[in-house]
Amino acid sequence: MKTDLFHDLRRLSSFTNLSADDLKKIAAASINKTIPAGEIILHEGDEAQSAYFVLSGKVEVFRLALSGREQVLALLSAGQGFNTAPFFLEEKHNPASVRTLEQTTVMAIPAMQFLSLLNNIPDFNRIVMRDYSQRLKQLTNKVEDLGLYSVRARLVRFLLEQADQKEIPVRWTQDEIARQIGTVRDVVGRSLRTLEQEGLIQIRRQCIRLLDRLRLEKIANSE
Amino acid sequence: MNLILPVIDRKKCTLCRDCIDACGLHALAIQNERVIFIEPDLCNYCADCEGVCAQGAIRVEYEIGW
Repeated sequence: MKTDLFHDLRRLSSFTNLSADDLKKIAAASINKTIPAGEIILHEGDEAQSAYFVLSGKVEVFRLALSGREQVLALLSAGQGFNTAPFFLEEKHNPASVRTLEQTTVMAIPAMQFLSLLNNIPDFNRIVMRDYSQRLKQLTNKVEDLGLYSVRARLVRFLLEQADQKEIPVRWTQDEIARQIGTVRDVVGRSLRTLEQEGLIQIRRQCIRLLDRLRLEKIANSE
Repeated sequence: MNLILPVIDRKKCTLCRDCIDACGLHALAIQNERVIFIEPDLCNYCADCEGVCAQGAIRVEYEIGW
């Protein structure tokens, strides 16, 4: 229902600067959908039909190689957008695939309505630009990671980032870690065992405990 | 104390037995048409079962912290 969507939008911190009027216009132009965990919302390469914002839940944006290997480009949560860029390009295709990581509610804005909202609501335009800027920064960091650092350094950087983040800890499988850092599961497993043998981490059931920040940061920054 | 074990998603599991064959400690078996940890104490959380499961039905999860 549009009223529900209006209230969902009001709760998003990234949308707090919008007036009630503007929120109602956005809600009127959009459809909200709740999608179970593990489902694909968009396939890379399909014709782009809508821009999306996450209202609740979590999604991952990824690219898929012909070999079947996946590279995660971004993890998005409430307030963040995806598939907002293709409508400014010649080829209007989804640039990546998107999958839900948990039950997720998204707001889908069809292409023409999305462009119209951008033209007519400057504050919404700014929200989309801020989202692009954050995405660009994340992707730049990802390119730096993948291009300039070894798998071992990327793994250590990932471990440090996860250990230091303040939110509720996420549980990762080795395969999910591999997809984040651009390698395969076996390499993650071997690298973790090596780090443990070097006394840098401790691997227990359901827990990877980092032990030596100084040495880990040295590996993260120099390899 | 409850032993932490890999999580098996029954909806994804096709009972192919690859995980049972991969487990060097023989901790897994099929019982009543379900893959279960028949010897949970033997499981050392090595994640070999997760690695061979083509369906992604097994999750060996880690929280990362200090």
